[in-house]
Amino acid sequence: MEEKEAMIQLRGVCKRFPQKKDTIEVLHNIDLDIYKGEIFGIIGLSGAGKSTLVRCINLLERPTAGQVFLDGMELTSLGEKELRVQRHSMGMIFQQFHPLMQKTALENVMFPMKISGVPKEKAQERAKELLELVGLSERMLSYPAQLSGGQKQRVAIARALATEPKVLLCDEATSALDPNTTAGVLSLLKDINERLGITIVVITHEMSVIQKICSRVAILDGGDIAEIGSVEEIFRSPKTQIGRELVFHDGEKKEAYVGHVPYCYRTVFKGDSANEPILGNMMIEYGAPVNILSGNTRNIKGGVFGQMILQFPEDAEVRGKMIQYLRDRKVEVEEVEYV
Amino acid sequence: MFEQGMLLLVGEAFLETLFMTLVSTFFAYVIGLPLGMLLVVSDKDGIYPIVSLNKIFGVIINFIRSVPFLILLVAITPITKIVVGTVIGPKAASLALLVAAGPFVARLVESSLKEVDKGVVEAAQSMGASPFQIMTKVLLPEATPSLLLGFAIAVTTILGYSAMAGICGAGGLGAIAINYGYYRGDKEIMYVMVVLLVLIVQVFQELGTRISRHSDKRL
Repeated sequence: MEEKEAMIQLRGVCKRFPQKKDTIEVLHNIDLDIYKGEIFGIIGLSGAGKSTLVRCINLLERPTAGQVFLDGMELTSLGEKELRVQRHSMGMIFQQFHPLMQKTALENVMFPMKISGVPKEKAQERAKELLELVGLSERMLSYPAQLSGGQKQRVAIARALATEPKVLLCDEATSALDPNTTAGVLSLLKDINERLGITIVVITHEMSVIQKICSRVAILDGGDIAEIGSVEEIFRSPKTQIGRELVFHDGEKKEAYVGHVPYCYRTVFKGDSANEPILGNMMIEYGAPVNILSGNTRNIKGGVFGQMILQFPEDAEVRGKMIQYLRDRKVEVEEVEYV
Repeated sequence: MFEQGMLLLVGEAFLETLFMTLVSTFFAYVIGLPLGMLLVVSDKDGIYPIVSLNKIFGVIINFIRSVPFLILLVAITPITKIVVGTVIGPKAASLALLVAAGPFVARLVESSLKEVDKGVVEAAQSMGASPFQIMTKVLLPEATPSLLLGFAIAVTTILGYSAMAGICGAGGLGAIAINYGYYRGDKEIMYVMVVLLVLIVQVFQELGTRISRHSDKRL
């Protein structure tokens, strides 16, 4: 793989919050490189430290220990004033959008430019362009209360892009939106990434968000990075318990499912193996049925994937042969402990 | 019912009441607005936390606010004597009103500013806004409707205080209500004064509510 240049580097980042009696460590010694121009996902269950981690990138939360670099510059060594200047090159959007409620969409987008001292005329011109980019040029003079959730998030995106940032941080940006609106906002983010070359960091608890737009993903669990890799890799063979939970069940609690069932395997079919009725042929060949417990297909950056949880026959010999049969046909097979 | 002399007296008292109320409200805001802003900024979750300063001001404000107004009015007469030169009349009462109302206004301003969504402040911080910019460009504009409602509450409360100050020779409608109505037992005059006070409160409150609603873009 070619050597990529890092946009964001975290080195040994720890974050502790002092409580009444003791201290809670939310992030343990995080090392992370996010490359220029990529859409990087950080996924985890609630309480995993995702929001704290993203706030450590623009230092809304100062790490208790460790260093944060943006495009080679160490942010953690800067004073408040210099840090504020650097923040102009990092946009951020939030789950609850956080628009200025007493200002129009246009004034909202102009706001960060006002803060950074851009002349009013120029700010207004750029704000109009940005609202056009996010598809809201007709609602420029509307107040946030008159806009839908998706529109508010578009205003927030335009606002975050106003100071021409190198990085856009998205903290659960689609979690308060319905599936259709989510899809619209995600494709807008992807579009921005491709057209403007902005590095995007996406924080989410939904695997589907990661699959739609991210190229790489880190799974955060209890303040540690449990797994990191390309989205395809992680989806095809998650190596950790938390990774499996997120990939199989999209982070939902496993108790909602069947529970422990013996001889269960997760199989992943890549798009091109769908032409042949592999499962059917296998059952005919070995004369034994398999039980399909669940199945779905996912669109991921590299193609379409189907995943199925199958219960194989009790007979170890037949089971072994069947698994080999599938593996010969490039189907990933992996035993799972629960369904 | 009223002869002309009485009418003149009432007219004068009406103006005195307005004078006391508006002047003290103005100066109460001169003190209370920055103080309220300071309380919000220096709060432990504020945009520039200075907890010790916050605690000190908090205690002073609570102390002044817990002294009943009539007692405060009498207690500060030595200071009033020095500052105003006299301890009776509307001007003298205005000082006491100011001392009582300043901390009250500070709390009103504090609660209005704290209503602003923390997330909006965080968003502004993420854009690189300084604490000063957050105060002037985020907190104050976003809290404007609530500040205006608070202003109406402040005016009507201070009006109530000014009526109480009548007992100490402050003049105004309250003084007439007490002197003619209560001490001389002329109930009619007392009722008329009370009705006038009620009307003034209604007008200020209604005005405040309307302007606030009109300025609020969330509706």
